Amino acid sequence: MNRETRGYDNVEVGDCLPELTLPLTPTLIISCAIASRDYQDVHHDRDLAVARGSKDIFMNILTTNGFVGRFITDWAGPEALLRKVDIKLGAPNYAGDTMTLRGTVADKADGVVTVEVIGQNELGPHVTGKVEVTLPAAAK
Amino acid sequence: MADTAFEAELKAFEGRTVGGPQVARDPVNQPMIRHWCDAIDDQNPVYTEPELAQQSIHGSIVAPPTMLQAWTMRGLRPPPQPESSEANASEDVLALLDDAGFTSVVATNCVQEYRRYLHPGDHLSVTTTCDSVSPEKQTALGIGHFVTQRQTYFDADGEEVASMLFRILKFKPGTGAAAGG
Repeated sequence: MNRETRGYDNVEVGDCLPELTLPLTPTLIISCAIASRDYQDVHHDRDLAVARGSKDIFMNILTTNGFVGRFITDWAGPEALLRKVDIKLGAPNYAGDTMTLRGTVADKADGVVTVEVIGQNELGPHVTGKVEVTLPAAAK
Repeated sequence: MADTAFEAELKAFEGRTVGGPQVARDPVNQPMIRHWCDAIDDQNPVYTEPELAQQSIHGSIVAPPTMLQAWTMRGLRPPPQPESSEANASEDVLALLDDAGFTSVVATNCVQEYRRYLHPGDHLSVTTTCDSVSPEKQTALGIGHFVTQRQTYFDADGEEVASMLFRILKFKPGTGAAAGG
């Protein structure tokens, strides 16, 4: 991640964030589900997930939030403050797929930058949304 | 065709407290933060490196804001909840939909807003309110109702620290576009 915090004055509407590509391994999906204390079987037990009509185990929503947050602060830096994460959920993130997160600065006002985010896998958009993050005036 | 008496019954849930206050099993703590950061591969030093966190805007270690729900998740062995009609009402609205054939569920939206960052030692509790239940809608997945719930998170002093709006679609399996109507 970026260890320097980006300055608000150095960010322009239209700036693109570095992409984050995530191979969705069973280990990733399961370790994140357990770290978020979400023990629903569809997030760790392939046989039960298939029996319930899913293709495979799939990522839980808490994890999607976690990756969206990380995607923003990897770019913005450690002293950026997350204010709001507003996401719409789409295609499931099944094990074996890959999700790529992309983001663009959509707005900036009063020290707060709004980034539009989309995370796509081979089925289509898994997550789309907006994140509001407060940045210091100058990089630090 | 939508049944108006049924829709009125669903509407009656709007504005009601349907869960909580549910107290987090443990306060915000470094080991759980570390597990989360390992899993997400989030290397932000304010979450795990005390010296850097101390020199930062936060003054000490903070939890990743998006970890919010993890603190109050019921976990693998949920502790018994106090008997109260309010605590069960959330399940009631969903059970009502289940009984009417809207047995499938998919989450559609999640909006988290953070008033402040959380530090180890913060002990959260959460209350859940039924924000809205939509009229019956034909969606790509099927015929269903959107149920929107609002969770409000408080610290041990009763100060609101964050909120979350969570919307699900409860739908009738086999009634979507893919199923040919």
